[in-house]
Amino acid sequence: MIGLNHYLILSGLLFSIGLVGVLRRKNLLMLFFATEVMLNAANIAFAAASHFYGDLTGQMFAFFIVAVAASEVAVGLGLLIVLYKKQGTLDLDDLATMKG
Amino acid sequence: MENILSVLIFFPAVAGLLGFVVDKNSARVYGISVAVVEFLLSLWLWMSFDGTNAGMQFVEIIPLVPDFGISYYVGVDGISLFIVVMAALMTMLGMISMNIEKDIKNMVISLLFLEMTMIGVFVALDAIVFYLFWELSLVPMLYIIGAWGGPLRIYASVKFFLYTFSGSLIMLVGMLFMAYLYQSISGVWSFSITDWYALVLPMNYQIWLFLAFFIGFAVKVPMFPFHTWLPYAHGQAPTIGSVILAAVLLKMGTYGFVRFSLPMFPDASTQMIMPIAVLSIIMIIYTAMVAYAQKDIKQVIAYSSVSHMGVIMLGIFAMNAEGIGGSIFLMLSHGIVSGALFMLVGVIYDRRHTKLMSEFGGLASVMPKYALIFGIMLMASVGLPLTIGFVGEFLVLLGFYKVSVIGTILAGTSVIVGAIYMLSLYKKSFFGPVTNEENSKLADLDAKELVALVPLVVIVIWLGVYPKPVLGPIDNSVKALLGFMHEKAQTTEVKEIITLSKNIKEAK
Amino acid sequence: MEKFVYIALFAPLVSSLFAGLFGMTPKKMFVGVIASLLLASSFVASAILAYHVNLTGSGIHVTLMDWIGAGDLKIPFGFIVDQVSVSMMVVVTLVSTVVHIYSIGYMDHDKSFNRFFSYLSAFVFSMLVLVMSDNFAGLFIGWEGVGVCSWLLIGFWYHKPDVSPEINPSISPSWAANEAFIVNRIADLGMLIGIFILYWNVGSLQYDVVFAELPNLANGVLVAAAIALFIGAMGKSAQFPLHTWLTDAMEGPTPVSALIHAATMVTAGVFLVIRAHPLFMMTPEVSYFIASLGTFVAIFAASMALVNRDLKRIIAYSTLSQLGYMFAAAGLGAYWIALFHLAAHAFFKALLFLGAGNVMHAMHDELDIFKMGGLKKAMRWTYIYMGVASLALAGIPPLAGFFSKDAIIETAFNEGTFILWAILVVTAGMTAFYSFRQVFLTFEGDERYKEFGIHPHEMYKFVLIALAPLGILAVIAGFFQKTFQGFVTDLLPNYEMSEHTHHLAMILGAVVLVFAVGGIALAWIKYGKGLKRNEKVENGFFYKLLKNQYYIPQFYAEFISKPYAMISEIFWKSVDMKIVDATVDAIAKTIHTTGDSTRKMQTGNLSNYLNWMGVGVVILLIAAAITPMLG
Repeated sequence: MIGLNHYLILSGLLFSIGLVGVLRRKNLLMLFFATEVMLNAANIAFAAASHFYGDLTGQMFAFFIVAVAASEVAVGLGLLIVLYKKQGTLDLDDLATMKG
Repeated sequence: MENILSVLIFFPAVAGLLGFVVDKNSARVYGISVAVVEFLLSLWLWMSFDGTNAGMQFVEIIPLVPDFGISYYVGVDGISLFIVVMAALMTMLGMISMNIEKDIKNMVISLLFLEMTMIGVFVALDAIVFYLFWELSLVPMLYIIGAWGGPLRIYASVKFFLYTFSGSLIMLVGMLFMAYLYQSISGVWSFSITDWYALVLPMNYQIWLFLAFFIGFAVKVPMFPFHTWLPYAHGQAPTIGSVILAAVLLKMGTYGFVRFSLPMFPDASTQMIMPIAVLSIIMIIYTAMVAYAQKDIKQVIAYSSVSHMGVIMLGIFAMNAEGIGGSIFLMLSHGIVSGALFMLVGVIYDRRHTKLMSEFGGLASVMPKYALIFGIMLMASVGLPLTIGFVGEFLVLLGFYKVSVIGTILAGTSVIVGAIYMLSLYKKSFFGPVTNEENSKLADLDAKELVALVPLVVIVIWLGVYPKPVLGPIDNSVKALLGFMHEKAQTTEVKEIITLSKNIKEAK
Repeated sequence: MEKFVYIALFAPLVSSLFAGLFGMTPKKMFVGVIASLLLASSFVASAILAYHVNLTGSGIHVTLMDWIGAGDLKIPFGFIVDQVSVSMMVVVTLVSTVVHIYSIGYMDHDKSFNRFFSYLSAFVFSMLVLVMSDNFAGLFIGWEGVGVCSWLLIGFWYHKPDVSPEINPSISPSWAANEAFIVNRIADLGMLIGIFILYWNVGSLQYDVVFAELPNLANGVLVAAAIALFIGAMGKSAQFPLHTWLTDAMEGPTPVSALIHAATMVTAGVFLVIRAHPLFMMTPEVSYFIASLGTFVAIFAASMALVNRDLKRIIAYSTLSQLGYMFAAAGLGAYWIALFHLAAHAFFKALLFLGAGNVMHAMHDELDIFKMGGLKKAMRWTYIYMGVASLALAGIPPLAGFFSKDAIIETAFNEGTFILWAILVVTAGMTAFYSFRQVFLTFEGDERYKEFGIHPHEMYKFVLIALAPLGILAVIAGFFQKTFQGFVTDLLPNYEMSEHTHHLAMILGAVVLVFAVGGIALAWIKYGKGLKRNEKVENGFFYKLLKNQYYIPQFYAEFISKPYAMISEIFWKSVDMKIVDATVDAIAKTIHTTGDSTRKMQTGNLSNYLNWMGVGVVILLIAAAITPMLG
């Protein structure tokens, strides 16, 4: 029987993969994917918890996150394209213009 | 008029906003007119003030954030009334004597905003409103020093701002804690100062709160050793900035002690008499000696301000009506006299573009009117009887004698050291032969400068000969304050130190 | 009678303000005339008041208005005209009137003629406030007021440059003015403390209340108050060690020296002791100290006068010496004698100074008596005046000084303080010697001024006539000793010589007279026929010691003025700039450098930021995990 813990472990694993991606990847696009992975990890946890506790709030939250992620991707990818056109690269090491 | 205080606060601010649309060439006239109206309003306030009532008058309360007990709460009593009038007077005269061509419009607008904040501080009875005006007053001053100052103006203005600002942040923490205590004792939030008065706090809380407020006020006064921003600010500020700074802004600190520290923490205040007296005496003697060593006329007067503020501090902590009343009177007289002295330095700076004493000498024969007015202000500054300076200084020393004999003797040396630096300044600049060719053709005071300075001379003599119209209301409110502190004090030792006069008028 | 009080008091103020109106305009003769007339009216009013007080035997007390009221302190502008104050008023206004008229002539060529009259009248007003006030605070107003007027008048010729102390001991008029003001301020602090002591123990500053309350006060309080007030008196009356300013004050115009630094202001200290006699009578220790200090100053100042070459400074030293006599009398309890000597001294000393002014005028401001001589031909009247005044000063009967000074010396004998008596007798001899040394060197002997191409001339006629009242009073004032005694002892305690002293009076008087005449004779032998300088004496230790005023001015300069300036400089440059301000700046700098060094974290690389964020999250998680464990 697959219980809540299994879902949470899966969610934790996914989140860690996403976190490592965020910390280690240098390409901005990859960073985006990594954040999406983390968001979806959270979604799994929400949906599972909702199911097991019989409370719909979690699922509602998951929908919200999906919507927010979608709009974020739309805006974020648009910005990425502009940045790419301007700089010709999406490598973070080359984009350090805000150096203090 | 019921809302005279609100009118007094916001009239200059509104006029300042409208100032943005005024034509550049008429900005000066516009500013002067506003300041004159404001001064007349403040006179009206004085006229309609009931001098026999020791309590708050013209009170207005408008709740702002009712959940936290923050409200727009203003009122005046005998202690604050005259400082308000003086603030309006000095702004007006400062504006009249102003000799600035560059960005005159910005200057006028800054001054009008500054006037709003100054009057706001002295009439606010809500801690948050008080704090608001207190901090806002830094902004126009920062701009005035930073935009029209001397070569080191950026350093001086930033130092002024950051120093006083960090001090007042600690005061803010004290205010928040005070409100928290009030809430935990009474169950409702309130930032009203008069509500806070009613709070009887245990000694350890009182000490900590006293210290928090002390830092904020002491930097502003400025007390030794927090005084070093002042010579820079004065040294770099344009004349008008120095006049307002010395005449009004410094009084915020000493006023804060009277308005907050004494009535809220009577036990802690009596506990702190000696440390503060020591600091004040150091301030008096040490800065007077530093003033003697200065080469620049303006720096002498800047340091002399610190020295005189020491006398004021001493009087506040004399804990009797003579001392505190004398202190408040001395705040007024120091405002008038130091303001006038800074204006006088400005006069010579406009002509020669230097303030170094070594550049001058023999000015008395070239500019007799200037020398005469400078001489009168000098005598008022050293506390000659029948000038405004004597009344306050005499009362303060008299009052402090009750607290400490040795302290009074040491503080009394201010009459000696004050005479030393002032007279040597006068001798170096005004006496002797005219050695510098450039000085031999200097023009004496012109009409504009006389209009600004003669009223001050009149006040100096008038309040020196007949201080009663001012001293009477001050005395009533101070007696009520002391009566209140005496009642609130928790131990008999403290009650003994707080000296009551024989006849006290109750606050209505 | 009240209106006469106000006329006497305010006429000089009106005069001062009127002259002040023309203060910045060129000389106007009418200013001097009107000022003199107003002063004369003040004198007449004072004289009427004196007559009235004598007739009724009681004082007039008026209160003009309230001045300061704070706490329990109530100070009115109250004035009292009683036997003591009216005597002072008559003396002050009389001498002032003469000096005003004299100044019309003396200041004839000065461009600041009008300003001078303004200051001079302001001084008279302050002096009248001082003597007429009915409380200590009012006294203090006058006390400081005369100080400021003295400052203005000593520094009247402010345009003179500073020179080295070798050329002019007081460097410049403005320097002397500041010195006088600051030294007086030191003493004023003492006076203020005295006022505070009285206030907190009595609750009032009115003379009558304070004096009525004195018997209820502890002895310690009384002694402290007496000492503090006497410190105030020491400054104004230039008693040792606060005496240096008086001789330097001679930088002022001569009428000023006559009025302020001889006849009136410097006697304010004596007046204070007389006014507060109930206090000083209850503190015999302090009184005895006053008498001893007075006696010491009498001989101390006289010794410096012996060798001085400056016409005005010699007279200044003699003033100092005579003030010592007055304090001796007041300290020994003979208040009316002190007051009598004060009045008599005012007349002959003012005359002496004004005579010296005539000489200065004639000699084109030359003051060195070694460069004068034989002036009697050119200046007969001045010679007579100065001769009479010097005889009075020396105490030759029947002139005023004999009666007043002899009474003081007799008091010292009567009190059994024989050491004081002996010193005072010797001083009387010294006084006679230096006065006549000065007179003979100036008016007798060879005409040394001719080498310098000076053509002396007598003063204006009206000036000489104006001096006549002083000349006459210097001669006859002594005859009114008994009348004066009867008048003032209505208020002051009477002081009578004991039976024993009374018997010896003739002998005592003779002893003093022998010393006085001996002094004059010695002066005649040494200087009557002209100046004979003796190099050996002049280079001797004592001569040099006296000539340099016991090196006291140098001592003050080296050990007070210079260290004060030095410490001020250190306070500013080392303490204020290097410690206090540097600490503030150091705090600011620490914050700045911390920011500057941590700035490197801001690489601009998003990846680094995210890593830091991760570290932060981990730290927070660990903290969150540990906190519950720590409880």
